[in-house]
Amino acid sequence: MVNYLILCRSLTRAQRSAAVLKRAGISAGIVRCPKEISAEGCSHCVKIAGRTFERAIALLMLAELRPKRVFSVDGLGSFEEVEFT
Amino acid sequence: MIYLDSAATTLQKPNQVLWAVQRAMRTMASPGRGSHRAAELAAQTAFACREEAAQLFGVGDPERVIFTCNATHGLNIAIKSLVKPGDTVVVSGYEHNAVTRPLAAVEGVEIRVADGPLFQPEEMLARFEQLVTPEVACVICNHISNVFGYILPMDEIAELCMRRNVPLIVDASQSAGTIPIDMERWKAAFVAMPGHKGLYGPQGTGLLLCNAPTIPLVEGGTGSASALQQMPDDLPDRLEAGTHNIPGIAGLLEGLRFVRRRGVAQIGQNETGLSQRMALGLSRIPGIRVFEQGEGPRCRGGVLSFRAEGHDCEELGRKLGELGIAVRSGLHCAPLAHKTAGTFETGTIRASISAFNTMDEVERFVGTVAHILKK
Repeated sequence: MVNYLILCRSLTRAQRSAAVLKRAGISAGIVRCPKEISAEGCSHCVKIAGRTFERAIALLMLAELRPKRVFSVDGLGSFEEVEFT
Repeated sequence: MIYLDSAATTLQKPNQVLWAVQRAMRTMASPGRGSHRAAELAAQTAFACREEAAQLFGVGDPERVIFTCNATHGLNIAIKSLVKPGDTVVVSGYEHNAVTRPLAAVEGVEIRVADGPLFQPEEMLARFEQLVTPEVACVICNHISNVFGYILPMDEIAELCMRRNVPLIVDASQSAGTIPIDMERWKAAFVAMPGHKGLYGPQGTGLLLCNAPTIPLVEGGTGSASALQQMPDDLPDRLEAGTHNIPGIAGLLEGLRFVRRRGVAQIGQNETGLSQRMALGLSRIPGIRVFEQGEGPRCRGGVLSFRAEGHDCEELGRKLGELGIAVRSGLHCAPLAHKTAGTFETGTIRASISAFNTMDEVERFVGTVAHILKK
């Protein structure tokens, strides 16, 4: 199963993003970013399920909450950066 | 005790504020500093407080709500972000030292004072019209004078600043929680306010609403971008170095909810009504001069100043304190306001109302002043 980690500019941005997604019925949890994907050190991500990815990104863009970066996480815990527009 | 010093700090707080502070101290750590439940609870509380404040003060984005220690802290950030050495700044004649001292600390700043007389908003506005010229770096103005309760014509001053493209810093220390504030409508660069006055939060809390580029006053850990040696560019982290005052923020959140439940306009109306009654009662006592407005639309809030002929204001304040009435005497950290109003030499006695005062308290206060002066 693939999940996505939406890397946010701050914890508050992650909280805003998660709130927008939850209001739209998308399950979204805030987690600290794995070190592997966060070159700048401590950061926060919004974690969503793979099936909600496109809708989630669309909602965030609509709310002017553009993610900093987005990564897919596969069942083995490997990360891959994902392009989004 | 009859507490009439809410312009300094509201002493009576809603019970929810007290409970929230205690709950935070028992259960919450620091936002963004861990993956454990105590850090998460702290983060949720801080975010809820930002959202509540954003809704109450017309800030479109809760990321632009910054936690500060008090209004002075917020004003220092705002001033240091906008005012550079040698700049020209326009302030009202009713500013607090929280504005004038940080300005005095910036080298070579020219301060133009819009010094209209008390309770004459048209004259004040005319002075601002004269002084706000294109070279002005910013305008700084308090919404309500902390000495006289004078409500400055902020909508018009904000409109003038917009028209002349000059950033506006609003000191909302006395108005937050008593007069509706709409940051978006004013298009203000910054609005600073304490949490411990009309928002009924604990001492040591404050908010800075930001709508302009900022320069951090303090650098340090933010729980974000920790590998970098520069402060993050993004709000709120950019301005919130170090561990948050989470018990204070939890209390402030409940204070904000109290204000929203009761209604800002309702609170303001109640305070003004009591203060008008106080002014009327005091004005009937021989030898008392009350600084009250004349005819016309209301431009005084729940803060009232007065003097008693032949009585030192500090002495009268002390006597009232001995009789269980809390007021504030002297210059109220606002020498500029006293110079503008012509009370610098004597100071005044200030009695200020909160949502918890009653008509009975006001009448007992007036009676006590009369009793002291009769002796």
